[in-house]
Parts: sequence; C-alpha cells; structure tokens
Amino acid sequence: MNHNQQPGDGTHEDDAALSDFLASLMDYTPTIPDELVEHYLAKSGFQCPDVRLIRLVAVATQKFVAEVATDALQQCKARQAAVVKDKRDKQQKDKRLILTMEDLSRALREYGVNVKHQEYFADSPSTGMDPASRDE
Amino acid sequence: MSDGGRESEREPEKPARQKRAGGDELARAASRLAVAQICESQGFQTFQHSALETLSDVAVRYIYDIGKTANFYANLSGRTECNAFDIIQGLEDLGLAQGFLGASDIEHCLANSGTVKELVQYVDEAEKIPFAYSLPQFPVAIDRKLTPSFLQIGEEPPGEHIPAWLPAFPDPSTYAPSSSRIERSTEPPTAKIDQESRNRKVERSLLNLHQRLACSGLEGPSVVNHGDATKAKQAVGSNPFLAAPLQFGEKEVSPVLLPAKVKLLNEATMRNPSMENHGRDNHVSVLEALAPDIEAMEIRLLDSEEKEKEGLLNSRPAVQFKIGIGRKSLGTMHDLSLQKKSFEVTSPWFGRENEKDDKKMRAEKILKESMGHTQELGHL
Repeated sequence: MNHNQQPGDGTHEDDAALSDFLASLMDYTPTIPDELVEHYLAKSGFQCPDVRLIRLVAVATQKFVAEVATDALQQCKARQAAVVKDKRDKQQKDKRLILTMEDLSRALREYGVNVKHQEYFADSPSTGMDPASRDE
Repeated sequence: MSDGGRESEREPEKPARQKRAGGDELARAASRLAVAQICESQGFQTFQHSALETLSDVAVRYIYDIGKTANFYANLSGRTECNAFDIIQGLEDLGLAQGFLGASDIEHCLANSGTVKELVQYVDEAEKIPFAYSLPQFPVAIDRKLTPSFLQIGEEPPGEHIPAWLPAFPDPSTYAPSSSRIERSTEPPTAKIDQESRNRKVERSLLNLHQRLACSGLEGPSVVNHGDATKAKQAVGSNPFLAAPLQFGEKEVSPVLLPAKVKLLNEATMRNPSMENHGRDNHVSVLEALAPDIEAMEIRLLDSEEKEKEGLLNSRPAVQFKIGIGRKSLGTMHDLSLQKKSFEVTSPWFGRENEKDDKKMRAEKILKESMGHTQELGHL
C-alpha cells in the first residue's frame, strides 16, 4: 500500500501521526452517530469491525456536510446582503439564516452534486405563490 | 435548530411523507437530525425541509460512497476487510473534485495524505456536538432459526444424491401421502354401502314375505302391515340418517312397491286382475283410487291413527289433495301436513309407507270431512 519515495523518517512520522489520529478518534464522538454510519457502510459492502474506521468515516462525512453547510451559509449571507439593500423593511424573517434549497444547490454544485430546486415545490419564499394560499 | 417560519405550518404533512419512505425511516430520520445539528453548528438558524432532506441524502450518499470505494480498494488488494488506507484512498477519490493538499503527487504516501491532514485539522478545530439522541443498534438482526441439516441431526439422507449438509427433510407425515386421509374419505361410502346392503337385505326379506303372503292370500293384510311397520321402525331406528339417500331411484326398491299395493288392493277389492295397472291408476287418478280405498281405510283408520302417533306418518306433497276436494278439506289437510312435516325426518325412505299413508290420510281426511259435515248438519 505504501508507494512512497520519501525518506524513512518522514514515513514513520506520518504513520505515527495517522495512528495517533485514529487513536484520538476513540475518544471523539462525531455528530453523526456510529450506528448510522455502520448501517450505511454495511449497505455499501464495507466490512470492518474497527470502531476507529467507522469514526473516521463519520468524521469525514461530518466534515463534508459542514463544508457544504458553510458554503450554503455564505451563499445565504451574500443573498441576504443583496436583498436587504433593496427591501430592507420587507420581512423580518429574512434576517434569519435559513438553509434554503437555492443556497444549498449552489453550494453542492461545487462539490459535484447537481441539485435542482423543484420548480413547483411550494417550499421556498421565492416560488412566487400567494403566501396566503400556502399558509395552511 | 428551530424550524423555518413556513415550514412549521407544514409539520402535519411530515408523518405522511415519512410513511411513504419505506423501511429506511429510522436511518433517514437520524441522518436528518445529525445533518441539522451540523448545520446549526455552522450558524444556520432555520431550514427548509426540502433543503435538509437533500443535504441529508447527500450525506448518506457520501457515507455510502466512502464505503463502496473503500471496499473496492480492499478487494483490489485481495482483502475482504477494509483498513484505514482503503478509507483514505476512498476519501481522496471523493475529494478529487475539490482538490486537497498533495493531490498532484500520484505516488504520495497515504498516511501522509492531505485529506487526512484536513481531517485532523477539522477534528481539532470543530466543536464536539454529540448526537442528540442515543440510537439503538439497527437494523435489528433477528436470529433466524434455520432448519438443521442432516449432519446436525445425525441422520442419513434418504438418497445418495443428497449431500449431508443440506437441511433435513421435515417429518414424513407432513409430505407423505397420508393414508389416514384416504381412509377417512373412503370410510363413509363403505359404511353407507354396508348400511345399504343391510337395508336391502331387510327389504328383500320383507319382499319375500309379502310375496309369499300375497300368493297364498291366507293371512290378513293388517297383520302384514303391522309387521312391515315394525320392521320399518327398526330399520329407521338403526340408522335414520344413512337411510335417507335410498329413497328413490333404487332399482331394488321399486319392486317393493308392488306387493304393498297388492296388499292394499287385496284388502280393498279383488276385482281387478292386473295389479300393476291398478297400481298405476292409483298413482295417476287420486279420486278414482279413493273410492274403493275408503271402505278399507275406514276399517284401518284406528290402526293408522296409532301409527301417526308413533311417528311413522310420512311425506308426500300435500298439494295433491287440493285438486278434487272442497275447501273444507284444506283446513284439515293443513293440520295434517303440519303433523307430517314434523315426522318427515324420522322415516323418509319407505316409499311403500308413503303411499299407504297417503291413502290412509286421504281416507282419514274424507272421514273427518264427512264427520264435520255430520257435525255441521247436527248443528244445523
């Protein structure tokens, strides 16, 4: 597995760092529960009884989701900044940070996931429908 | 993380949508919750349901893809169990779209991977937010109780072509052609046949007796009638239920009708030499047959009444009698028919009895009518 051309010292350091990191995962509890990760990994054909590897996947997934969420948050803030200039007094609610499909699809596009907001899915304030008809 | 303003009003719809999701509801709900927690930690305050579901779907897919690629690399190395390097390789594959430190170096050490460094950095920096609920281990694996093999039972397979490791056959009684069932299906017919033959024997002996009596003409018909009735009673008493199907259409039974009529006719009038013809006449024209019979029947009325009490009166459709007889008789006939119905069950299969009873009843009815007439006349 090790194809490195690097000097032996560096390899040992990296190995030690990796094993330390994996060991530290034993104490770390990711937000995504182990059972969930285990379930989906088992579905994919992944076989490993090692909890550290499950945690590694959980942490990686958490990091991925957090990055996507951060990007979406930036999109949201940027959009709000643009909107607020025009209609400052329109809605109080706009000041809240809402995870919307628009921001999410923009954020996910950078990660290679193409998500289109459903055109007629009355889930967004921008669908252009009468608010009264949607509030029920 | 609080719900979005508009979303909160959609809350009632949620269960219905979840029900449609299928068997993966718990995992989906847990992933939604986890993703919502991560989003909250990043600074979001509210969310749209569709956005949260999309993101949780993407997260689940991410886990799935990591597992798939890691499994792929493990299999590529000739292993079935994955190790950390397989996962890191998979993470690198998935992270190629964004790029990571040292991705340009194809021959870099996996322990030294940029993705791992990013991960370490993330773990150090990110705040620890444990999952809000404690999840049970799922899906719950139900221990299936497998059928033990021939080897486990310690039994020899029935055929040489069946290896011992195959599950043993169930109890032979569950699949073998059951003899008990066949017995059960055949038993009643044989019993019926036995009963039938026994009845036939009784009938035949009766027939012989009648024929002998009819030929000799020595003994009085009333005696014969009485003996017949008692025998009938016995036969019916032995098994009234199995006797029922023998009522009509039996070839052995029809000749039995003849002596009964002969006997009746004997006692009534001896004028007609062809008894069969007369019997047929009896069948067809009721009124004609009635005239000669009445005289004889009057004599035997007491006897027949006794038999009614004994429960040997029998079924013949009462409608026949409506034809030639006036209104008054209907009332009396109604009573009789009711009486008859109650007795129908007891002795349904004696055709001779039927006809005799018919005649008796006819005579009785006419008698009653006439008595009623006399009474009316007396009243008048």
